[in-house]
Amino acid sequence: MTAILEVTNLHKHFGGIHVTRHVNFSLEEGEQSAIIGPNGAGKSTFMNLLTGYHRCDAGRVIFEGQDITNRPPHRIARMGISRAFQVSSIFSKMTVAENVRSAVHAQLRRSFSIFGAAGRIGVEDTDRVLALCGLAAKRGLVAGELAQGDKKRLELAIALAGKPRLLFLDEPTAGMSIDEARGTMELVDRLNRELKLTVLFTEHDMGIVFNHAQRLTLMHRGEIVVQGTPAEVRANTIAQQVYLGEHHV
Amino acid sequence: MNADNNNWWSRLYAKYGLSGPAAIVLLVFFLLVPLLPGKFWTIVSTEILILGLFAMSFNLLYGYMGQISFGHAAFFGLGAYATAMAFTRLKTAGGEIATLDFFLSLLAGPPIAALGALIVGFFCVRLTGIYFAMLSLAFGELLFYIVFSWYSFTKGDDGIQGLLPPPYFQDAAHYYYLTLAIVIGALAVMWRITESPFGYIMRTLRDNQRRAAFLGINVRLHMLVNFVIAGAFAGLAGALWGPFSRSVSPGLLGWQESGIAVFMTLIGGAGSFMGPLLGSVIYTFLQAVVTMFTSYWPLTIGTIILLIVLFLPGGVLGMVEKGIKARRGAGAGEEKQP
Repeated sequence: MTAILEVTNLHKHFGGIHVTRHVNFSLEEGEQSAIIGPNGAGKSTFMNLLTGYHRCDAGRVIFEGQDITNRPPHRIARMGISRAFQVSSIFSKMTVAENVRSAVHAQLRRSFSIFGAAGRIGVEDTDRVLALCGLAAKRGLVAGELAQGDKKRLELAIALAGKPRLLFLDEPTAGMSIDEARGTMELVDRLNRELKLTVLFTEHDMGIVFNHAQRLTLMHRGEIVVQGTPAEVRANTIAQQVYLGEHHV
Repeated sequence: MNADNNNWWSRLYAKYGLSGPAAIVLLVFFLLVPLLPGKFWTIVSTEILILGLFAMSFNLLYGYMGQISFGHAAFFGLGAYATAMAFTRLKTAGGEIATLDFFLSLLAGPPIAALGALIVGFFCVRLTGIYFAMLSLAFGELLFYIVFSWYSFTKGDDGIQGLLPPPYFQDAAHYYYLTLAIVIGALAVMWRITESPFGYIMRTLRDNQRRAAFLGINVRLHMLVNFVIAGAFAGLAGALWGPFSRSVSPGLLGWQESGIAVFMTLIGGAGSFMGPLLGSVIYTFLQAVVTMFTSYWPLTIGTIILLIVLFLPGGVLGMVEKGIKARRGAGAGEEKQP
């Protein structure tokens, strides 16, 4: 197995607050990994740094052998990295199908197609992603009027439409019912297993984390405290002190 | 969908949204106008079409891309001046212009306006919201003052006179039909663009720019292309304006002219493709009628805009859409953007 993502000495501060401190991190191709940690540990900031939303103050991010440090988000996305946001970030006045279709168009590099018919380009990919995420029946609804769980599924659908090789999911099941959360994580497992999609997700529900991640990284105050298999992290005393203790695992 | 799905209008609505039925109604209206006695309403309708095209080009920025420009008339004016200057050079000493030369001068408008939009847009697309609006206003006024002050090139505040079209098109009805044909052609192209992948990428930028960037969209470059397209259509409207009013003046580039596009769009509805054209029908007709009785036109239109913003935030077509949704019981009936 080779590393698909390698992060060395990544550092970020906002004013005097160091939100990411000299983080070294890597992801193996095809693995499904989770970042955990208390609120404010720097998990979302870390994802923002990797996807170009924030500029890194120091350090390097290498994706598939290429340096992507501080590249703009659209360039990083085009290289094959997709992300889904913690608070669903969708196109609220467009329909569900239009949301996914535009993401497919971007992936197909057809975003500058000025005279093409939007409804006839990327139809199969759009339908496939909608079906995969269980949104086929809701394709005609205006996205902003969806229930919270459906919005999160659409969020995932938009990310998948980009045909990523590396997928970042920031709390993919937040706001979902237990059944919806299970369905979503089963889908993520399937994508990881069948398409060999590398997945990195953050999650507060430790049940989901221990069931769906092959490897865990615990962050605390912008630093990586522990890394390892779920069993290793569970057994770690520091991990129990800073985070797991609260969850009575 | 309910039983009246077989109804011709419902099918049109299902396929094209409110813009389908609206387009039919407007087309019938525009075809019937020249049958009215006298030239007055034909002339008013020519103005409706030209300003309507201008307002629709503005809505490419506002309704589709989600940015409001208070300087869009700069490109209307640039198109008008490009045509007027080409016209002046092509016409004979006696003031006559050959039909072919007349059409050539019309063709000068859109590319010059597009070039202006490329330069202005390069700076404007770096910003969004109120900053985009203010920068577009600043550039609009800048171009206005250049045209206003550069007497040797633009004739300054004298404007350019004597833009008398070829004899055939001097007839109000003939110029009207020419304008109608060009505007229909322009709207067909515009519709195609708004229904293209690019058109839907514009809607994603309107709804959520940050998300669009994470799809791999170069946000600024897409905004710039749209800005240039909108500028070109405004320039086409401007090109038609000069020979219509027989003259151009710097005021065509000014913020008040930009305001007309904003007013028309708000009246008709930014959420619908045909909204700004309907807005132009209402605005221009009202202006023609109101000024017959009173000189308080600004007071009148000010009151109307006030009422629309307060009570019909989606404009006239937004209200109709709401009514249709309410009748079909489709829940909230929130304004559906194009």
